[in-house]
Formats: sequence, C-alpha cells, structure tokens
Amino acid sequence: MAGKRKDIPQEMSGREKKKQKTAIARTIAVQPSTSGSATQNAVAGPSKAAHFDAAKGLPGSLDVERFAEARAFEINAMHTAMQNARADTAHRAWQQLPRHLRRRAASHDVRRVPLRLRDKAKAEMDTPKAKPKKHIPQRGQAKREQRTEMLLKRQRDKVWLESHIWHAKRMHMENMWGYRLAVTPTEKSFRPSHRASVHGSILHDASYLGLIEIKGPERVIRSIFDRCCDFQGPSACAKRFSSGARVFVTHFYRRDSYPFNLIAPVQILWRPLATSPPMSGNQQSATSQIGDQTSKQKRDGKTEKTASQPSEELQRTVWLWIHPSVFDEVFQELCLCASLVLELVKKANPSSSTPSEVEIADLRRDLNVFEIMGPKASQVIHGALNPVIEDGRNDFKKCWSSLANLRSAGSVPRNTVIGFKVLDPRLSFPPKNATVSLNSWNVPSSSAAATGFYPTSSLAHSDIWNEEIRQPLQKPKFKKSEIDQRRSQNLIPGTPLQSQRQDDRIPMLMIQRSVENSSSQTTNSPFSATPSVHGWTLIIPAGWSMAFFPSLIHTGTRVGGQRERQTQAFESSSPCFPRDYPSTSAYNDFADKTGKEEQERWNKKPRAKRPAWEKLGVRSPWKPDWEVVLGLAQPEPFEEKPSAEDGHLLASDRDERDLETENAQPAADSVAQDAVDLERSKFPSGTEQHAVTEDHQTTCRPWLYRGMGVAGLIASLAASNSTAASRSNIIFHFIDASRKKRNNPRLNEAAEDYDFSHVSPKDLYRSALVRIGLRLLGRGCPSDMAIIYEMSDEEVLRSSPRTAFHHDNELMEEDMDKAESISIPPQESIIGYVTTGSYSLSLGEGSAIGAVPLAKLVDLQIQAKRLGQSAMTAKVRDRHDVTWRAAQVLLMED
Amino acid sequence: MVRFKNRWLLVEFLPCPTASSSVLDTSSRDGPEITSKHIWSALKQSVIANFGDTGWGAMSSSLTIKYYSPTTNVCIIRVARDQHCIAWAGVTLMTSVEGRRFIPNVVHLSGTIKQAQMAAITHNRIVVARYRANAKRPTSYHDSYDNFLQSCTEEIEALQD
Repeated sequence: MAGKRKDIPQEMSGREKKKQKTAIARTIAVQPSTSGSATQNAVAGPSKAAHFDAAKGLPGSLDVERFAEARAFEINAMHTAMQNARADTAHRAWQQLPRHLRRRAASHDVRRVPLRLRDKAKAEMDTPKAKPKKHIPQRGQAKREQRTEMLLKRQRDKVWLESHIWHAKRMHMENMWGYRLAVTPTEKSFRPSHRASVHGSILHDASYLGLIEIKGPERVIRSIFDRCCDFQGPSACAKRFSSGARVFVTHFYRRDSYPFNLIAPVQILWRPLATSPPMSGNQQSATSQIGDQTSKQKRDGKTEKTASQPSEELQRTVWLWIHPSVFDEVFQELCLCASLVLELVKKANPSSSTPSEVEIADLRRDLNVFEIMGPKASQVIHGALNPVIEDGRNDFKKCWSSLANLRSAGSVPRNTVIGFKVLDPRLSFPPKNATVSLNSWNVPSSSAAATGFYPTSSLAHSDIWNEEIRQPLQKPKFKKSEIDQRRSQNLIPGTPLQSQRQDDRIPMLMIQRSVENSSSQTTNSPFSATPSVHGWTLIIPAGWSMAFFPSLIHTGTRVGGQRERQTQAFESSSPCFPRDYPSTSAYNDFADKTGKEEQERWNKKPRAKRPAWEKLGVRSPWKPDWEVVLGLAQPEPFEEKPSAEDGHLLASDRDERDLETENAQPAADSVAQDAVDLERSKFPSGTEQHAVTEDHQTTCRPWLYRGMGVAGLIASLAASNSTAASRSNIIFHFIDASRKKRNNPRLNEAAEDYDFSHVSPKDLYRSALVRIGLRLLGRGCPSDMAIIYEMSDEEVLRSSPRTAFHHDNELMEEDMDKAESISIPPQESIIGYVTTGSYSLSLGEGSAIGAVPLAKLVDLQIQAKRLGQSAMTAKVRDRHDVTWRAAQVLLMED
Repeated sequence: MVRFKNRWLLVEFLPCPTASSSVLDTSSRDGPEITSKHIWSALKQSVIANFGDTGWGAMSSSLTIKYYSPTTNVCIIRVARDQHCIAWAGVTLMTSVEGRRFIPNVVHLSGTIKQAQMAAITHNRIVVARYRANAKRPTSYHDSYDNFLQSCTEEIEALQD
C-alpha cells in the first residue's frame, strides 16, 4: 500500500524545519573563491611547501595579503560557527535574558523581548491563528457583576493594600494580621534581595502599619506617653522629638507596668508647630492651670478639629505607628491611659473652667508607607519625585539638592523627618535615578548641617498632617490613561509632561530609617561587624500608592515582602517584631501559629520520616517553653510512652528523667548514681529552678528585659560576688529607679489591679528574659527554635575562643571537632531558645538571635570570667539534630 | 552514556607541485574548484583501495566532510569513533584529489567539533607566525599588512564577545 501516498509537495513539518535550522546553524562559512576576477597568481598558498627535495621550507612565492586574508577569514568563520552552534542548541531567545528582564508575554509577543533578540524570537515563535473574540452578549450587561464589586467581595475577611494587585501577580500572598500581605517574590530572590539592601535599593510596602492620631494638650499627651512608653530611654516629650524634627522609636508597655507587659515597638512622631516657636518657660507654667472637663473622643473614622482650644494650652498632634498585630491592644491601652490622665488633671485642678480634651483617632487607611532601603534609595527617590519648592523653605531646597549626592541614608541623622510636597510622579514617568557627583568641598564626611539634613521642625513641616488637605487628595484627579493621553499629545515623543495648575500636589513625609543593632556604632562592640541597612520611609496620602509605586521601582529597585524585611533585621542583628519579642502577646500568637503549622506537617509524615522528639531530648518541639526555662513552670511529660525496643542509652536517660519529674522530688543531690546525674551535677545552678517552682505558685510571667542599661546592669550583677538574693535586689532597685524617673510607684507598691503587684525581687529576677545573639565557634548554622544549653567548665575550656581559629588550618580542624559533639545534653541544662536562626549572608556564617533568662546570662558571664574567657559560650543544638555546637553568646541590648 | 561518539580530523591538504610547475603555477589550477564532495569521493577511493569494501562499509555511514575551504585547503572530517583509524589511514594514503596531487597533513584529532575548530584557529595563527619568523620580521615590525591583520583580529575578538 505504499503507493497511496499523495504526491503533493507538503509543507515542511516542524521537525524538518528544526533540522534545517540546526543544519544552517552548524555550517561553517567557506571563503568564496575569487578565481574569476582575481589575477591568476593571486593565491593564498599552502601553509607548508610540499617540496620533498627542497631544503628551503618556503614556497617559491606567496601572495602575502591573500594568505593572511584567507587565514583571518577562516579564524573568523570558526569563531562564528562555534557561536552559532552554541546559540542554536537549547536556548530560546528569552532564555538568554537575565531573570528580571523576562516577561510572561514574551512567549507570544516579540515586542516584549529586547531588540537584539527580536529576530531570533520571531523565528522561534509559533504563532497560533488569531482566535475570534468571544462574543459577549450585550443584553445582560447591566446585571453583570462589575469588576470592582467582584474584587470587593474577596476582601470581606481581610484588607488589601492599594498595591495588592501588583503584588499578587508577583509575590506569594498570605493572610496576616487582617491584611493580605506579600511574603516573598515568586522568583528566586533571597540573595539578590540581600544584595539590593546592601548595594542597591529595595522597597517594601508597609502600608499595613497601624497609625493612631492623638490630639490634645501637650501636657496630657506627655503624661500618656510617660506612662506607656519605655521608661529607660528618653521621654517621648524630649525636645528633640516634640519639635517634630525626628521620629521617636521606642517600645510600648501597658500603662504603668514597665518592665512587665511589653506590647510592641512603636514610632512616635509629633506634628511640628506651625510657627515653630521654641517651647518657652511660661508655656510650661501655664499648663499647670489646665482645665478639668474630661472628654475623650474615640472614633474609628476621621476627626474634625476640636472647637474648644484653650488659649493657654498648646494643642498638639501626634502620630503613632504600630504593628498591625497589636493595633487593638495599643489603641485600647491609649484610650484607657488617656482617660486616667484626664481624670488626674481634673482632680488636680477642679476650679479650671476650660475643658481639656484628647482625641484618639484610628488613621489606619489614611496613609501609605513605603520603606526604601539600601544605599541607592536616595538616588531613586530623588529621581522619581519632583518636589514643589515653596517659598521660604531654603533648608528643604538645600536638603533636596544634597539628597542626590547622598551615598547612604546612614549619614543622615537618625530618624530625621523631611516634609515636602511633590508633583504627581506619573507626570515625569519614566524616572531616571539621580547620579552622584561629589565636589571636593562637599565630601560625604561633611556634617549634617552642611549637607542640609540637620533635623529641624521647619524641615519636617508638611501638609500631610492637615486632614483638610488630605481629604480631597483621596483619589488622584487624573487616571493613568488620562495622563498617557496628555503625553501622547506631546509634540516631541518621550518628553516629560509639564505640570499644570489642575495637577495634584501631594504632601508627603520622608523619614530616615535605619535597621541596625543599637550597639553596632561603638567600635569594639561584637556587633560592629554586622552591616546596618539604611534607607527612607516615605509616607504619602491614601489613594496614591499606585501613582508612586511604579516610579519608585522602575529603575531596578527590588520589591520585598515580609521575609525580606525580616532578613534585613536579621542580617543587621536587630530584633524583628513579633518573632524576636518573647513574652509579648504578639509573639505568643506568632509562636502558636507557626507551631501549629509545623505540628500539622509533622503529623502528616510517617514515623520513620520525622524526628522523634522524645529520643532527641526535645522538651517542647513546637513552641519554646519560656516558663519552664525560667523555672516558673514544670515541664510537661511526654504523652507518648516509650516503646519497649528502644533500650539504648538515650532511652534510659529519658526514663530516668521521666521518673524524676513524676516523683516531683527534684533534689538533685539525692540522686547521683548514673551518668545523667553526673552530667547534671556539672551545672550547679541548673538544679535550683525546680526546687523553687514547687513551693511558690507564682503569678509572675516572663518579661523581656531590654534597653540601653542591660549591659551595664549585667556587668554589675556579675561583678558582685554575691548570692542570687542580692542580685535580685540590685535589679529590683534598678527597675524602681527607672520607674521613679517617670513618677511611677515602686514595683511592690503598685495598685492592686496590676498582675505584678506584690512582685518580689526574687520573682522579678528569675522571670526576666534577655535577648542574645549567637555566633558559632565552628561550622554549622542554627535554625529557628534551636535549643541553647549551658556548658560545663571543661567544655568551655575545650572549645577555644574563635580568635584562635583563623590562624592555623590544622588548629582550626582540631578545634572544630572540639567545638561540636554528637551527644544530647540533658534537658535540665536548657537555658533558652533561638528565635531566629539562619545563615547570615553578611557574616558569611551561621548566626542566631535568641533569648535566655537573665539569671542564666549572669551565670554565663561569671563562668566566662572565672575561666578567663573573653566571651560567654553556650551550646546550641537544632531540634532535629543530635550534634551540638559551641557558640559565642553576645548580649543584645536593643 | 550510550551516545554516538565521533572523531573529528582536522586535515590540511598541501598542494604538491608537479615537476613542470611550481606551487603557484597556473597549470595546477585549471581544473574545476575542489569542493568537499570531491574530497569525500577521493577519500572513498582511497579507503576502498586500501581497506576494501569491508573497510568502506564500516565507515561509510558516518563519514562526513564538515568543512573544506579551497583557499586554505583546510578540511574537517567527521567519522565514527570506532572506525576513525580507517579514515585516518585512508586520509594519509590519499595522493590526489580530482587529478591534482596533494599531501594530506592531519593537524589535529579531537572528540568534538569545537575542539577541531579551535585547533584550526591555533593552526592558522601558528602558520602566520611561522612565516613571519621565517621572514625575520619581529612582531614589533609594522608593515602595511599589520593593520589589516589587526583589524581582522579585532573583528574576531568582537565576535568572541
């Protein structure tokens, strides 16, 4: 039946086409001979003469030019052939592009490919026949659901940011804190994002941050903050902050309950006074006669100006940014605190006629926040935004011109606020980054005053505070299509649009932002090696996110999600809220959530494929048990009973321990028979904790001791060669002193309604947690929730300090063996957990942030001093691992 | 892995002056220009003559002349790895192509075409350098052809990227 094939010349099949293409790509070009035109003796000639008899190697004559030309042509032909063959093999046009230039539509649209690759792309493209457009019937159009409605339907249980759709196309999204937030880009970007924060610029849309506005007399606001904010540092009403020139970054506690009940870190910004008068002395004295009538307004919407403005009292406005997970808590606390303060004011001046009012408003969806980090951030902002220079703002003019030359936002005074007004950035789209050009007299080392970044309240002035100006700006006056239409009418294509009278002028704030360890500035600090990440926070009115966003990222700025933001904090060894704030409610929620997820994943796996926590000696695998670590609670026994077959040493270890906990007779000196107890007897302090727990059913909960004074306090605690009781007295008096500074009662004299009333110095001391950084002495990289153990004296001496490591390779190998060991330390020697642990790209080695009890840290310090070690050491072990590694313990004050 | 493995021969055919003519004599060039097809058939004749039908049958399926330049007489021959010795011997025993006498000179043997191409490039460079040395022209000497060579190399390097 072979003859049946039709004889019609068929079109080439894809396979044949491909074959032909490869054949063409693989042919090597041959120099065309010029025999017709050239003179006959013009021959390139052979490379060797084939004279067998001739002694001379050269041919009789040679056309040199032709010879060289022929060889050159051949070399050229070989090169091109090699290149063609390589290009033809397995790569499509778009595959030759770096990842960030690849476009989804490039598979069917040649214009999405750069010009140099367009021909190749065109040849590769398999264009399907254009499908006829799907007919949409005209009749039911009115009944159909609009796109806006459809999108609003999806937001019933969560809130979208304005840039949501942009992010949802490019990032992994997750529900967090009532928002749908971007976690991380879909493309591989862990390392590039870190590089961007160190060398380039990376943007994060932080519009989810909760914003609370407080309006009222300055004195009242001051006493609200004095009761709620961190007692150690400067007051929120210090002149440098209350002038509005800087943002105050501090921590928020429940009212009057410092050091307990830490809620979250906050940022406080005062609205600068309109006619920047310095706060005079008579102002202060006048405030003592303020009125009494207390009225607190709490509205979820907008607030209008209060009509009654006491002439002698200065009305101030304050913005307070807070993490969305604790927004309600902080809002309620502020309201409560405000009413208490107003009551006190009323009591103090019953005769005053003028009422004092405080307004607390929720401005959560009124502003958008972008965080641009990295050294190029200043150039990106300068290039993308076009400020409207108003009269009398010479300081801003100077500051804006020096912004272009700013190599790093780190050289600007911390938390400087710059307020200004910009034109719609879409008018000047596409933006170009500013170029740095430094004159000899304008070197980066010049002072802040010289560069114009000196924080003053006039520099911080911005109309964004004014609600009447924000209100009409809620929606951009022109759509993007209208602006594009205007641009298309430009006579010269590609020129930026001229701004017109009716174009919007958007007021905004720019705040210097640094993610850094608080002690990284001092030269001999162990954290001085960790790089800090500097950048700017941009605050713009609601509705303008997508007008600013494309301009800010057009010049190659990366976009980061939650993971990138966390990484920035981790790389600069600074804590990240909520994951590095144990003892806060937000941390507990976070730990519960992640623990639950991990447990679910673990449950799905078969026994053989998942870590056996019991055998690995892990006490609480899903969530760090801070209460047990602090000795405030008993460890919960494992539910699963050990099976009969595991009779090896590990199992017997555990059995012993189980027995002990069940008997509730933890007096260690009575049981000293087997290896476990021998091991335990190395840790004299580790045995105390259980004894205390029994007789003392305390209400004391863990609290995180943080702030500037921690290092000094620990040094003084370790210095006093005294008992635990005297140490607890020292810290008790220390805390009392800082409470007294803010006119708060002593801890044990606090009112009954606080849960810490009648706290004893002993309880205070042993329920304190401190944050630490860990640097491994050898290899390895601790992961989240790794367990920190204390070390016995011999082990500390065996694992020599890290300075010895880098001198000698042999020594290093040896030390590495010493610094790690395959044995599971007893559970009693657990002194803490890692909250964030990973490979640090900036340090080039594993690093971790964790927390340990204050008492244990003092013990470590004493141990290091006793053994003549320069640094504290501890063991760290991953939950699922049997190897522990020695690590240096660094105190984090932040 | 199970793959079809090849060997690539880089051969230069040196034209052989007959008694009556010099290398550049016109009489040696009056025939039609030699192409890769001619090389192929000459090689076939040589293999058949020396190795018989078995020899030719073993290697005929894989023999390809990938490249032949009549100006430089450089040729790249592909042959299956198992039979490459037959092809090599056949090339060596060749004496003439299309009635013109040549001395085949195998410059390089490699496993990939890329290596053969790179060998061709180095061979050409060496040849030019050797003539230069024979003419006692130091590399620093600048004659009129240097510019030409320079531009050639620049072009080549631009291609290399």
